[in-house]
Amino acid sequence: MKIPSAALRQLQKAAGKENVLTDDISLSLYAYDCSLSRTRPDALINLPSEDSLAPILRVLHKYRIPFVARAAATNHAGSCTALNGGVILNTAGLNRILQINTQEGYALVQPGVITGDLQDRLAPLGFFYAPDPASQRVSTLGGNLAQNASGARCMKYGGTIDHVLEADFVLPDGTEMHFSRRDPGPDWIGLLAGSEGTLGMIKRMKVKILPAAKHIKTFLVTFPSLADSVQTVSDLAAQGIIPRCVEAMDQVTTRAVEEFAHAGYPTDAQALLILELDGSPAQIAQDEKQLEDICLKNHAQQFIPAKTEAERQKLWFGRRAAYAAMARLAPNVMVGDGTVPRSELPRALQKVRHILDEHHIYASLLFHAGDGNFHPQIVFDERNKPDTIRVTRALKEILEACVDCGGTVSGEHGVGVEKRAVMAYQYDTPTLDLFAHIKQAADPLDLANPLKLIPLDYASKARPALPPEPSVRPLAQALADRRQAHAPILIVGENTRLRTNTFHTLSTRPLNRVLEIDKTNYTATAEAGVTLKELFEALQQSSVFCALPHGHGTLGGAFASGCMPDFYPHVLGVEALLPDGSYVRYGGKLMKNAAGYHLTRLFAGSQGTLGLVTQLTFKIFAHPIRPVHVYPFVPGRVNPLWHALKTRLDPEDLFPALPGEPYV
Amino acid sequence: MSDFYTPQLDPLHPTRHLKVLDTPFGPRSVYDSVSFCNRCGSCQQACPTYLLTAQETFSPRGRNQLVRLIAEGKLKLANNRALAEQALNTCLLCGRCTQACAGKIPTAEHMLELRRALRSQPLPRLLFKLLSCRTSHPHTFARLVRTGLWLRRIGLLRAARACGLTHLPGLNWLNHADDILPAYPARADRDAWREARVNPPADPTLLYLPSLEAEFFMPSLALAVLTWIRQKHRPLVLANVSSGLFAYVYGDLRQSRRQLRRLILRHGAVQNGTLPLLTDSVDVYLFLRRAPQLFAAWPHWQKKAQQFARHVVFVTDFLSAKAISADKSARVRLDCGALFAREGAPFDQARKILKTHFKKNFVECLYKDADVPAFGYNFVRGNLGEKICMSAVQSIARTQTGTVFTLSGLSALELNFYLKRFYPQAQADHFARLNG
Repeated sequence: MKIPSAALRQLQKAAGKENVLTDDISLSLYAYDCSLSRTRPDALINLPSEDSLAPILRVLHKYRIPFVARAAATNHAGSCTALNGGVILNTAGLNRILQINTQEGYALVQPGVITGDLQDRLAPLGFFYAPDPASQRVSTLGGNLAQNASGARCMKYGGTIDHVLEADFVLPDGTEMHFSRRDPGPDWIGLLAGSEGTLGMIKRMKVKILPAAKHIKTFLVTFPSLADSVQTVSDLAAQGIIPRCVEAMDQVTTRAVEEFAHAGYPTDAQALLILELDGSPAQIAQDEKQLEDICLKNHAQQFIPAKTEAERQKLWFGRRAAYAAMARLAPNVMVGDGTVPRSELPRALQKVRHILDEHHIYASLLFHAGDGNFHPQIVFDERNKPDTIRVTRALKEILEACVDCGGTVSGEHGVGVEKRAVMAYQYDTPTLDLFAHIKQAADPLDLANPLKLIPLDYASKARPALPPEPSVRPLAQALADRRQAHAPILIVGENTRLRTNTFHTLSTRPLNRVLEIDKTNYTATAEAGVTLKELFEALQQSSVFCALPHGHGTLGGAFASGCMPDFYPHVLGVEALLPDGSYVRYGGKLMKNAAGYHLTRLFAGSQGTLGLVTQLTFKIFAHPIRPVHVYPFVPGRVNPLWHALKTRLDPEDLFPALPGEPYV
Repeated sequence: MSDFYTPQLDPLHPTRHLKVLDTPFGPRSVYDSVSFCNRCGSCQQACPTYLLTAQETFSPRGRNQLVRLIAEGKLKLANNRALAEQALNTCLLCGRCTQACAGKIPTAEHMLELRRALRSQPLPRLLFKLLSCRTSHPHTFARLVRTGLWLRRIGLLRAARACGLTHLPGLNWLNHADDILPAYPARADRDAWREARVNPPADPTLLYLPSLEAEFFMPSLALAVLTWIRQKHRPLVLANVSSGLFAYVYGDLRQSRRQLRRLILRHGAVQNGTLPLLTDSVDVYLFLRRAPQLFAAWPHWQKKAQQFARHVVFVTDFLSAKAISADKSARVRLDCGALFAREGAPFDQARKILKTHFKKNFVECLYKDADVPAFGYNFVRGNLGEKICMSAVQSIARTQTGTVFTLSGLSALELNFYLKRFYPQAQADHFARLNG
């Protein structure tokens, strides 16, 4: 599309003439990222300041010009190419660290701050920022949030989604919003995480910083099989030992790394784990003993602790060289990204190797064993078209195999355009419809990073929608009746927080089963109407624990009331009944999921206004864990995004607003 | 990789270009080499110009993609020449991106190839003519430089600056030259340096190729180098000999080859080319070490160049920590500003020597710490160069460094100018002048 000259003039006024570029070279150099996707935008705007963002978006909205936020463009999914043309908004210049507050544990940053730069600034202060994507030396914090990036430390500390406390956000129409983790209502920051710039643009962020570990110990452990290495990680989690990092590689990768970097990795082992413990010296010593026992129980061949800092660096040097070892072999390295439940990892990796062999593709295989997340690194030459087609086909098959193993097509790289089609293989129509509703609510004109994330014409290709569990059907029927009668209904559990005495309530109490306690993946699945008391009894019978506190109310209430925001990171999967009667399923036993919008965070704290949560999958532990803090129940405050979502999902106001908070 | 079609940037003039580039993973054509960029962006934060501008056009990834697009015919230069020249001439050719790159992509070489294809001349015309004349008329060049220095000494340049004459188009470089050049060398130094040149040893054991700055502006540097090497060697000074680097970077590759051939022959003429050839500039060292890639189309010469390159040595090969008498309590650091590379033997050795001698007072640089732009960049892009130098000064001030050692004389001159203005507590000197 050609940008109207009037729009260009207004953009120049808002951003400064020198910051609006339309020359061939600039446009060609903003046509790519680290994926195979290439599309030229129609203009490039280098954002001069945070404050210029909203006026620029207002102009773009006025003239209906699509835009794409782009900073370091290091993503592997094609998330920041302008598929529909339009304008690239370069946020790389917004790179100031505005404030570091070690007392309250946060840093206030602009979205273009390089993650590694923040780490460098925090290190002398004895603090660190936990998410550590492999590209942290070059990727930006804004980009990390948009992709929900995570890294080796994710098993212990979680991904970017859990480390952003507040965010200033601008919707595609130029509306400025401020989100905070402590605000009642859905976890909007969680929804933004991984949204890949399709909902608007991040203007400023407040990220959580943590005191740095003073003592760290690293171990190299080799195993005769992948299954043994994965079982070791599961056993560690079961024992309550959560290593700071768990990195793994298979034999092909170990050999490639050794040939290139000479990091001292044994090349005869089928699998290799790099484990890192942190804490006090006494704690590390205690964990080390247990770690060694668990490794030996799982047939570890070698257990090598790094004795000096130099040895530790050497172990990590090998891991870091894994990409370089492949990059020297061919012009392109395609880094795949799939996640499966931890217990499925050996089977999934076997399938992946089979697919690679079938297509005669040389690839290394790295995996974050703690999260069930793996990265095949495939080398090829994009100038060779048949070669490229073969590689993309193989990658598609790998992702499909991932889904077949109960996994997701993206654990941390995002969907972008590269994995857009496979999303239809993973999700059913109602879930994809909900993604589309979220997008349309925030961006009705489809201007923000259009054509990304949601598959095109998915109705015919999406996974067939399965009917809800029999136990859910009566509720679905009750809901249908109310809808037909145009009568609103309040969702309650045990009615402990809302304490409403209206007759128009729908209780989730019939959904009172604990469906599964999985001690391999350390997850539990329960229906939303299960009371916390019933849940604790079931967990106790299996000798496992969760992060919820003892008390009254139901599991669904604990999740949707917004009283326990620290519980959200523990929730891995959700199933919900929407006001229109459709049934959505998202997540599961997956420790990471960057495919689509984070629906768990949308329903978390939504206070029954967006849908009826029927089932949750969450993390459990072998040892007692400190329960999350319970905040008083506060009805959520309306914001334009919630309003738009509510209007779109529930136009008839079937799930009415809470008292005193009219939405429509 | 050469199975694929290899469009040349400049198909009608193959000799103006390198046939292949020597990369750590074997020889590659320019097109193959540039295609190895996976666009991962690891280089971005290593690039001083990207750090200043935050724009892809001034980043290594952007520059490599630019070369690729032009080579593939996807970007027409007709309407974009000025911008393309801006993108490539702002490149410092410092090799920091290559250091950060997993595939070790030689972006600096790609930039030079594109510069040659575009016949782009970033240096001011008069300065280019003057420096080019060193090859064609070395004696005239020497006389011109000495006259210039003398005129500067008697204050004529200062007067010209005061009158605003040096601000006339094409003469701006005189201001920067006047800023960075040291005072007129002391008579004792001049005499000692002349003595070293005019009285060659009968049976030399080493050839010394002084850099332009050591020969004409900093005889103290050349004398310091001679003092080190005379402990074990009898050096023969190759006075006023061009290495071919200037033509390689700013001029015609054919001329660079000619000069290099001459130097190879001269090296071969003394004791059958078995003597080490020492240089005091890391830029010249790195260029001479990669001399064989200039002769890929001429196997006979390539063989000779390979033999020659093996004999090229740098001052760090002759220095040892034991022989250093500098004050250990001073905080020192190493400025790694150089052409083409920032890693390899000279840098490792220099770092090791400094670390051994100064121990905790040796300041390790962060990966983003700026180095001074090398080989006359400040004459090409004064504004950008000044900002980069200022970043280097800020980093020096932040670490409270007392002395910064550089691996080329010109870098020391440039850095000293900025240090004097903005952080006079520190000073810069060439690594060879460790003992003062």
